[in-house]
Amino acid sequence: MTIKHESQKIAQHFYTFAVLLFLVQVLVGIIAAVQFIWPDFFILNFNTIRTLHINALVVWLLVGFMGATYYVVSEESETELWSLPLAKFQFWATVVTITTVVLGYIIMGLYPQANILVFGTRLLNEGREYIEAPRWADVLIVISVLLFLLNCAMTVLKTKKWTGIQGVLLGGLVFLALMYLPGMMYAKSMVKDQFWWWWVVHLWVEGAWEIIAGALLAFMLMKTIGAKREVVEKWMYVEVGLVLFTGILGTGHHYYWIGTPEYWLWVGGIFSSLEPIPLLLMVWNAFRTTRETRNVENKVGLYYTVANAIFNFVGAGLWGIIHTLPQVNKWTHGTQITTAHGHLAFYGAYVLLVMAMIYVTLPAIRGVKEFNPSRAFQSFWWMTISMVFIVLTITGAGMVQTYMERLMGLDYVAVKANYNLWFWIFRAIFGVGFLIGVGIFVVDYFKLGKEPATARA
Amino acid sequence: MSNKAVKNLFIYGSLFFFVIFLALTFDTMGKLDKRAPEITEDVNAGKMAWHKYDCIGCHTIFGNGSYFAPDMTKTAEKKPKEYLKKFLMDPKAVNPQASMPKLGISSEEADKLIAFLEWTSKVDTNGWPPKPILATAAGVGGKELTAGQKTYQSLGCSACHMINGIGGTTAPELTYVGGKRDRAWLTGHFKNPSAYVPNSAMPAYGNLKEKELNDLTDYMLTLKQEGKK
Ligand code: HEM
Ligand code: HEM
Ligand SMILES: [Fe+2]
Repeated sequence: MTIKHESQKIAQHFYTFAVLLFLVQVLVGIIAAVQFIWPDFFILNFNTIRTLHINALVVWLLVGFMGATYYVVSEESETELWSLPLAKFQFWATVVTITTVVLGYIIMGLYPQANILVFGTRLLNEGREYIEAPRWADVLIVISVLLFLLNCAMTVLKTKKWTGIQGVLLGGLVFLALMYLPGMMYAKSMVKDQFWWWWVVHLWVEGAWEIIAGALLAFMLMKTIGAKREVVEKWMYVEVGLVLFTGILGTGHHYYWIGTPEYWLWVGGIFSSLEPIPLLLMVWNAFRTTRETRNVENKVGLYYTVANAIFNFVGAGLWGIIHTLPQVNKWTHGTQITTAHGHLAFYGAYVLLVMAMIYVTLPAIRGVKEFNPSRAFQSFWWMTISMVFIVLTITGAGMVQTYMERLMGLDYVAVKANYNLWFWIFRAIFGVGFLIGVGIFVVDYFKLGKEPATARA
Repeated sequence: MSNKAVKNLFIYGSLFFFVIFLALTFDTMGKLDKRAPEITEDVNAGKMAWHKYDCIGCHTIFGNGSYFAPDMTKTAEKKPKEYLKKFLMDPKAVNPQASMPKLGISSEEADKLIAFLEWTSKVDTNGWPPKPILATAAGVGGKELTAGQKTYQSLGCSACHMINGIGGTTAPELTYVGGKRDRAWLTGHFKNPSAYVPNSAMPAYGNLKEKELNDLTDYMLTLKQEGKK
């Protein structure tokens, strides 16, 4: 395995930054988990820790997508990137912006009064979940993404090889960029604020990002087992089509109780219940295609690809559908059930996706034919088993909370401090297991291809 | 179907659903104002403070946010303003067990935040959060409530106080209060809490009728350790 075009190596810059942020994300995740037991455990309050945890997550996944996309676009266009210097500039600009934003969060955590108003927007932290980054940073991020998209589009235009995979991948990325914009305006009404906020959050993870996942799944099946383009592209269109047919109106599952009209109960309930179908198709696609081929070119890559499809379905599809009907959501809305789903969905759908892309493309970038897969498998099992247990634990906490607080009418704080205490303790313990998995992965990432391969696949 | 046909189906189908979504969005935007009270300067200032302190980093509002601390949608409806103001400015001074840190919220900001929370509590949320069905059911069956228990319920004391595991945790628990305080203390405290507990965040109930005060006090006095029922 070697790369065909020198500029594909740029993917590695992005991967490295992503992997390091992943480590940060999980470290602060453990601090957040301990704060459920001792709120004053750390110098920074829970809200700042949580902001760091979820922003690191979103940013590292996006950065991972960018690296993967540069690789794919060059490969599919059969040419060098339009401008390597631009890609490098865009990378470093992103690193500098993100680092500044993180410092801002920490300052704001220590001195809340520093979060002053500048031109009507907050200087350090916008105070809106997931999109806490202040407006000036939003603008810089948008510019960076536009430069990235420009570079990709110009690369495709060089040879005009509009393969289905690149069309869908870039289409998904454009949709992603567009859906960032509704989060960039101030609404005086908290109802409107949350209405537009969900455009970003929901139409990202259940729209644009799933499109990207569909395109990359097709790409990875081609690279790991030499699946036929004709076939995987047809599957891809069906999958991403169904993602949008169900997912766009599925946004309604967030418009049940925020002050929006009642018809959303119907729209959201019906369409979001159908959202698991395309995710199930992805699993079927992965298995069918794998069974039809004999020569596996990258065992680890394939392993992660298939696991990605499975856990996308379990985390987003199954753990999503259990609380998506309004009759159920009325009781579980905003409880730990939501957290359980959030974790398994992000892990299954996107953490494993970026990791799979790394294992599919990194050997070629590092110029090795084979590599020792043992660390890749170890980290997979440490992470996956720990995550499954975190999710089961928190699902338990959510069931207790729903029953005692929502059905019996006990106080929120009483349930959290007394009845759910053991769940918090177990989550923190499994969190350490997850961290071990991430640690193994980080080591593997830096060592892959740089030591002699022992085990022959 | 050829790949080209599936591709077209994907593109035009998605556009079709997006157009429907836009139409619904347009319709919703037109209906929102009727489902919520007017947004005054104070309400907006309160919302700005909500963002400034990143309250959503711990709390949910309309059920969205983080799950570390209670939902704020209906707080202003349940808790007295005096209490909220004191708590916002210095949580641990009101309730030493509170997890919420002292963020440096000023007196003016606290007023605005309360105005904002009063606004959210009046938004039509299609009946969310739902009334706890089991608690409601338990209240209907079983034995007749005493006059004091009825007053306790109608005044909403359980929003802050807990008795036998039911009620809020923001104020002291009352399960055994009858063993700790006598009649004079209890009645006097209802009329003017801060005369008995310095800097108390509890609102004064001096405007209650004499009978109501007595009923409440009777009820409090029954709350004792096992032995007396
Ligand atoms: C990979 C795709 C998905 C990801 C990453 C994801 C992630 C999340 C996250 C993080 C939240 C919590 C948002 C918050 O912080 O307020 C959430 C909420 C929710 N998700 Fe998903 N989700 C995905 C797919 C799905 C699917 C397919 C369904 C339905 C079948 C679904 C149903 C829900 C529902 C109903 C809620 C609201 C929970 C509540 O009322 O509190 N999700 N999702
Ligand atoms: C060591 C492992 C981890 C621990 C201990 C941990 C802990 C936490 C805690 C305590 C919260 C706050 C929940 C709340 O507000 O009640 C949280 C939120 C969140 N975490 Fe993690 N986390 C871990 C790993 C991850 C991973 C790997 C992902 C992504 C796949 C992730 C995604 C999220 C998301 C999306 C949220 C915000 C939405 C929600 O609460 O559902 N976390 N995490
Ligand atoms: Fe959603």
